[in-house]
Amino acid sequence: MTSNFLELKGLYKTFDNITALNNVSLNVSKGEVIFIIGPSGCGKSTLLRAVNWLTPPDKGEVWLEGNLVGSSSSKLTIKEAKLLNNLRAKMGMVFQQFNVWPHLNVLENVVRPQLVVAKRNKANAESKALKILDEVSLHNKIDEWPDHLSGGQKQRLAIARALAMDPILMLLDEPTSALDPELVGEVLIVLKRLVNNGMTMLIVTHELGFASEFGDRLLFMDGGEIIEEGSPKKILTMPKTKRLKMFLKKLDITSFKH
Amino acid sequence: MLEYQIFFDYAPILLIGFWLTIKIVVCAIALGIPLGLFLALGRRSNFVIISFLSTSFIELFRNTPFIIQVFLFYYVLPFYGLRLSAEYIGVLALAAFGSAYFAEIIRAGIDAVPKGQLDSARAIGMTDWQAMRNVILPQTLSIVIPPLTNQTLTLIKESAILSTITVHELTMTGLMVQGETFRPFEVFIMVALLYWALNETIATIMRKFEQNTKKNRKAGSIGNSSTTLKKSTSIK
Amino acid sequence: MNKVKFDISYTFDAIPRLLEGAFVTLQVAILGFTLSVLLATTITVARTSLNSKIFNSILAFYISFIRGTPILVQIFLVYYVLPVFGLNLGPFTAGIIAITLNSAAFVTEILRGGLASVPIGQFEAAKSLGISGYALWRKIILPQTFITSIPPLVNEFTMVLKATALLSMITVVELMRVSQQIYSANYHPVEVLSGTFVIYFLMCFVVSRSSVFLENRFIVKRAR
Repeated sequence: MTSNFLELKGLYKTFDNITALNNVSLNVSKGEVIFIIGPSGCGKSTLLRAVNWLTPPDKGEVWLEGNLVGSSSSKLTIKEAKLLNNLRAKMGMVFQQFNVWPHLNVLENVVRPQLVVAKRNKANAESKALKILDEVSLHNKIDEWPDHLSGGQKQRLAIARALAMDPILMLLDEPTSALDPELVGEVLIVLKRLVNNGMTMLIVTHELGFASEFGDRLLFMDGGEIIEEGSPKKILTMPKTKRLKMFLKKLDITSFKH
Repeated sequence: MLEYQIFFDYAPILLIGFWLTIKIVVCAIALGIPLGLFLALGRRSNFVIISFLSTSFIELFRNTPFIIQVFLFYYVLPFYGLRLSAEYIGVLALAAFGSAYFAEIIRAGIDAVPKGQLDSARAIGMTDWQAMRNVILPQTLSIVIPPLTNQTLTLIKESAILSTITVHELTMTGLMVQGETFRPFEVFIMVALLYWALNETIATIMRKFEQNTKKNRKAGSIGNSSTTLKKSTSIK
Repeated sequence: MNKVKFDISYTFDAIPRLLEGAFVTLQVAILGFTLSVLLATTITVARTSLNSKIFNSILAFYISFIRGTPILVQIFLVYYVLPVFGLNLGPFTAGIIAITLNSAAFVTEILRGGLASVPIGQFEAAKSLGISGYALWRKIILPQTFITSIPPLVNEFTMVLKATALLSMITVVELMRVSQQIYSANYHPVEVLSGTFVIYFLMCFVVSRSSVFLENRFIVKRAR
């Protein structure tokens, strides 16, 4: 559609003395799948958390479909806070540590935010939840407690919970990093289906194979800045900067397959 | 030496006092826990005035003897035109005292919930209050029940101090019986035994309950760490 | 209602006498707490060294009774009951005994926790060096037990400090009793009690905040 589906303008954020975001700007088109890579502490997670204002930047603006998500970390008015919550509901977020809710069973994890945030009625919320849990292959676990699920199942539950809100954008923060290697595949299958359905996504990951196969664009971040960006295949095979070369070399040594 | 007859003669009147002790403590808890929750949330509030007032209330009530709080309530409320019976003043004082401790217990419980839980609730569009109600507080519950029970036991014991403002609870009744019989040993041993029995009963129920929840949690907690779980899952 | 105004001059007038009362309160608290720590230490050493079933069950009974009953009732028991057995102690002594017996139960529990955190190897190492009996406890085990127990001990001291106010009920003239004497003479309980409240708060607050300071001091001393 338009190039300004999601716009990040001049984001800047410091924690104590560390610069996590240093004047980062980014335009994302609808349906685009963007992967973000970089060494730990490079600001990639902060960037993701700035998009839905979970970690408000010190400076800069975020726009989603022409709506201002946030424009500084000053106190929000009640009206602005309400708008922000509405926009957050449209941006599904998936965390490295899953953050499923252990006091609610699988079905309730997906139903509760629909009731509380989207104000759907219970019947609609439940039928929607069942449909989505079926899509992520958790239909036979709906009465299970999250603590009894494997890591892969928890992450699929977290994705289902986000999808039930009908997001127009998905933010995934290292969705497979906390998983045992044999459980990564089942989560990637779900993510691939999202890509094929045309979901707009920002994904922080170390799965370079996945990124080069499905990414429209790849960003390499270091020191709070976007160092390189472009098509994943090009960037991964022909890195221009020394920093990216070093990063890829290290990743090559530490990862056994790819 | 011991006059057993006193046990039989005065047991009924002591039991009436005991019953009032129980009623007062139950009312104080019913008032004190909501107030404690309110104070705990207030202390964490972003509004400086609310957090200052909550913190002051908590620290003032935790760092002074209950007996002076009781006397202050007893004299201050009528001073500002609020005339209540000693029983009601006693309930209010005990509730205020308890709420300061309840608040700190609840605050610690909230802090024990992993930060990611709040992140996920906010990221999905919940307001702070919705996140608190739907995600954080339910998880706090199992953490705070044992310390809240301990605090309840403390309130039972502290309620004895309400005898100083002539609330006819167990200790006051004991003092009256002792004044009548001049048999302090028999009377105060009986009073002590009643408190002790109530305390032990609640503590025992709590221990049983805790053992049960521990067992249940153990069954569930294996899956908490993805690396320890070797359950195979279908990869399609 | 003719005297609805809070007249702070009554508070200020009361302060000199209240401070005298506070001084007595501190004395009672320090004396009671010191005695209770001595008693609890003796109990702890005896329990570990004797390892006797009878001693342990008597101890369990004592601790359970103290923890399960109000300290006010314990104070009455000591104050009213001892004379029955011919022991005519004044209120001050009776009060100190009650506070000591009460606090010792809690301190024993604290020291049990502290002792559990001393590695068993410390006993073995000392024994292999031929250190035993008094020297083992005095030089090796107890110092470690007390240092790890500083925060709960400080907390217990504030409990004792607060409990001393109950001695006003058996006519010990400490801070609470002094304030009652003042307002029963001038009929301004709200003003006088407010001043008393503030003095108690300052004492308890300072003591409870000293925990961190004490801990640092002792850990530094040990590291030297």
